[in-house]
Amino acid sequence: MERFAELLIASILLAGLYATMAYGLGLIYGVLRIVNLNHGGMIMAGAYAGWWLHEELGIDPYLALLPVALAAFLVGVLTYGLLVRRLPRGAAGGVQSLLLLFGVWLVVRNAAYLMFTGNDQTVRTSYSTLAVPLAGALVSVNRLAVFAAALATLVILHLLLRKTYLGKAIRAVAQNPESCTLVGISVERIYMLTFGLGTALAAVAGLLGATLFPFNPSFGAGELLKSFVVVVLGGLGSIAGTAIAALILALVEVFAILVIPAYLTAAVGFVLLVLVLVLRPGGLFGQRVLG
Amino acid sequence: MKPPWVRPRAVVGLLAVCAVLAVGPLLHGDLYAHNLVTLTFLGIAAALAWNWLGGYLGQVSFGHAAMFGLGGFVAARAQISLNMPMVPAWVFGGLVAGLYALVWGHPTLRLRGPYFSIATIGVGEATRLVCTYWDWLTGGSSGLSLPMQVGLKYRLYWYGLVLAALAVAGSYVLRRSPLGLSLLAIKSDVDAASDVGVSSTRLQDLVLFISGATMGLCGGFYASYFSYIEPGDMFGFDRSISWVLMGVIGGIGTIVGPALGAVIFVLVRQFLIASYPQLYLGLYGVLLVLVILFEPLGLTGLALRLAHRFGYRERPDLAT
Amino acid sequence: MRGMRSCLFVLLLASPAFAADKIVIGATLPLTGSESRIGGFYKEGYELAFEETSKKGGLSVGGKKMQVELLLLDDTSTQATAASLADRLINSDKVQFLLGTYATNLVESQSVVAEQNTIPYVNGGGAASAIYKRGYKWIFGLLAPVELLADSMMKWIDAEQKAGKLPRPATIALLWENTSHGKDFRKGVSDFAARSKGGYSVAVDESFELNGKDFSALLGKVKAAKTDLFLADAHLPDYITMQRQYVTAGLCHKILSYGARGSEKQAAEALGKKDVEYILSAVWWSPLLAAKNPQAKQFVELFKGKYGGRTPEWYQALGYETARALFTAIEQAGSLDREAVRQKLAALKIPSLLPGGELTFPAEFGQQIHAPFVVQQNLSDGTSPIIAPPDAATGKGIAPNPGCPK
Repeated sequence: MERFAELLIASILLAGLYATMAYGLGLIYGVLRIVNLNHGGMIMAGAYAGWWLHEELGIDPYLALLPVALAAFLVGVLTYGLLVRRLPRGAAGGVQSLLLLFGVWLVVRNAAYLMFTGNDQTVRTSYSTLAVPLAGALVSVNRLAVFAAALATLVILHLLLRKTYLGKAIRAVAQNPESCTLVGISVERIYMLTFGLGTALAAVAGLLGATLFPFNPSFGAGELLKSFVVVVLGGLGSIAGTAIAALILALVEVFAILVIPAYLTAAVGFVLLVLVLVLRPGGLFGQRVLG
Repeated sequence: MKPPWVRPRAVVGLLAVCAVLAVGPLLHGDLYAHNLVTLTFLGIAAALAWNWLGGYLGQVSFGHAAMFGLGGFVAARAQISLNMPMVPAWVFGGLVAGLYALVWGHPTLRLRGPYFSIATIGVGEATRLVCTYWDWLTGGSSGLSLPMQVGLKYRLYWYGLVLAALAVAGSYVLRRSPLGLSLLAIKSDVDAASDVGVSSTRLQDLVLFISGATMGLCGGFYASYFSYIEPGDMFGFDRSISWVLMGVIGGIGTIVGPALGAVIFVLVRQFLIASYPQLYLGLYGVLLVLVILFEPLGLTGLALRLAHRFGYRERPDLAT
Repeated sequence: MRGMRSCLFVLLLASPAFAADKIVIGATLPLTGSESRIGGFYKEGYELAFEETSKKGGLSVGGKKMQVELLLLDDTSTQATAASLADRLINSDKVQFLLGTYATNLVESQSVVAEQNTIPYVNGGGAASAIYKRGYKWIFGLLAPVELLADSMMKWIDAEQKAGKLPRPATIALLWENTSHGKDFRKGVSDFAARSKGGYSVAVDESFELNGKDFSALLGKVKAAKTDLFLADAHLPDYITMQRQYVTAGLCHKILSYGARGSEKQAAEALGKKDVEYILSAVWWSPLLAAKNPQAKQFVELFKGKYGGRTPEWYQALGYETARALFTAIEQAGSLDREAVRQKLAALKIPSLLPGGELTFPAEFGQQIHAPFVVQQNLSDGTSPIIAPPDAATGKGIAPNPGCPK
């Protein structure tokens, strides 16, 4: 019973991180219909940015969240403006944009390798190993902080999308880009801003992840796939859907250790991805992923 | 009776090149270059096999190492435990790999474009983890060692030549034949294709199987060449990526583009290895971006443009 | 860039012909890629040995003095590259002999090429006994098998158990990285437990992925099993991650070990001194051996002299000794004939900086040395003395772990 509570809490905390990670990917896909394969690269970049700020300037990773998010936003805007914009929209551009962003990911990976070597890095703060008792289990302070930060990010995002003009414009473009120009919304500008926003979310998730796990330039591939599971499961456009899907993924991953050998729990996310795509491509909320 | 879509020039060309390559080693004594060319043959065959799915059918796979690895380990296991001779073991490995491709590919091919590609990453990684755990088949993380045979590595050159030649011929057949036209139709528009009677599921499964089986056979070849294989290396994501790069940079969907990509890959590796070994991923990333933005048919596209400058025109039925 | 100097060698020796008074020895090391950190250390060891020999005027081969030169290439921690480069060194650059690379899978792959080309291959980087069970004649290994690592540690633990400091039977939580290193470690522990006639039982036996991130579920399982001993085998990054999560989860065991990991400076920096206390480790060589082993002492002084007072770890020592073994065999053979050198290597028996004090390649183990391991423990005063084997010990170990609540 004690174990159950422990595993449940671990799942919930992990789900917060997964939701933040997934939302960046989902946002870009929902609005631009592009799968951002550089998502993994930006997660890794966020991790390195936070680590570097902590190592060189002594800035606490949680304080670094805002500057890193802003920097990543700019990077996303640039990526869109210089590269992605040139590709045809819609189905014709599908695989092409995939490959383009994949190329960008390779470059980012190599850049990180050249700057920081391939060695694993960790962010070690004074509170890295602090734990507090919670419902009969010991919970890491770090994980609680990550969960809180993830929650805050999603709330801010929700407010942005629902209450601001920009948010409404984004949602409008996602639904019907053609009619948007009729009402004076610059679709290209929205695309650019959305790409920036999605990139910023990825970097934030990466920074949060860096406080929990070690990372190196190859970091991000697994996270990309998990984000994809969450996006497909949760459908697009709904923060609640993403949150629930993230929780499901986290629960499956954490509780898997009760039934399969620990080594194979690493494969759970991947298998789930393939199963979800094949069996329930519409997600839990019926969005279309086919065609 | 020769089918009308087979151009005599192409057949003669392929045979001539093969003849030169077959005789080549007898004229020079450079053992290192000899072995390097053997590995290039392997790369050509694998890149072309990938292209059948990724280029002809338009379904880009980031997980083909799953078939490569599976074929390699099955072939190795067959030789070690069942005393199967080398080439039948390769074929056996290829068949198993092809079947595996059908198992995960058949349901997944319904997904279009980027979704299929993402699924293949999942398949590749999941296969790697499960096979690393499956001690009996792969030796776990210790890998499998094949008994060493003196002189085999040298002879593998000609096996490799045959393999690469078959892959090129197969690419030509798959593309130029009526079957190839059907594949093109599916690639452009699945629904329209079935409207005109192209049985897309059956055809897709066929390509999937051939692509996977050839990959598996290549894995067996690799195992025999190095005499030692281990799961981390065989099933690695970087390995899957290399075929995507070869295919796209060489010319995705073209007949020999990926073969060109494979050769470039080996050459670049050779020169980078001495001075800038840590740059090659970034270099390929940049090339990939440039290809996507400016020349979707990669180096083959560039070559065609140059050829047009000099007045070369293809026959109208060659829709690259 | 590290690769630059080596590439200069390649450019200089672009043609296979070389001066007749020079011995060219080829090697690859993972200077980039996942094993680059350790590859760099081995390079230091090799370079020290070559420099020392050059200073003496080279090797004395059949009465003639010949200089030695290292042709070192970067195999980028990839198997296929390691094998291909070995091919190139042998057939294109025409080196006389080969020194090995680092990492078991790279050595296993590369050694095939050496055997096929009948060229002596002396390596200090491949520990898996599988490498030496193939009946190869041209491969010589200075790295003792990892099963012995586990065995050395279990022997010390056993002595503590017999002295009444640990319960009998003692339960073990055995976690191992799914690499050949980890597999061999697990085998060593399991075999010892099986032979102990009820002295030990393995209650948890789980592998985990290399560079895994989240061990909390796995550690939760360990916690639930409430075992006496915690024996894990991991590379440095996984050790740091797991230990951090171990401490956060409030775990504590009577004996705690991460195999070959434990006393590294990086770990103490990344985790803090308190969180690495009383961790046991067993390693191929330690600078503390200099206290009782004259060759080790000499090596440490030499190393400090060349590298600005820095203390070497086992990687540099193994690199150095590997080169030295080849040099000695060449001098003993008195010629550059590969078969002659091979025979001398097979019969080699010289004093060495390795634990046990002797370097030899026993045929019964496929020409892999079976030197003992040094067992160390991190003590609360910040030192990590050698606690076993007795003839090399510089301190006394403590069991059970005094840091655990009663």
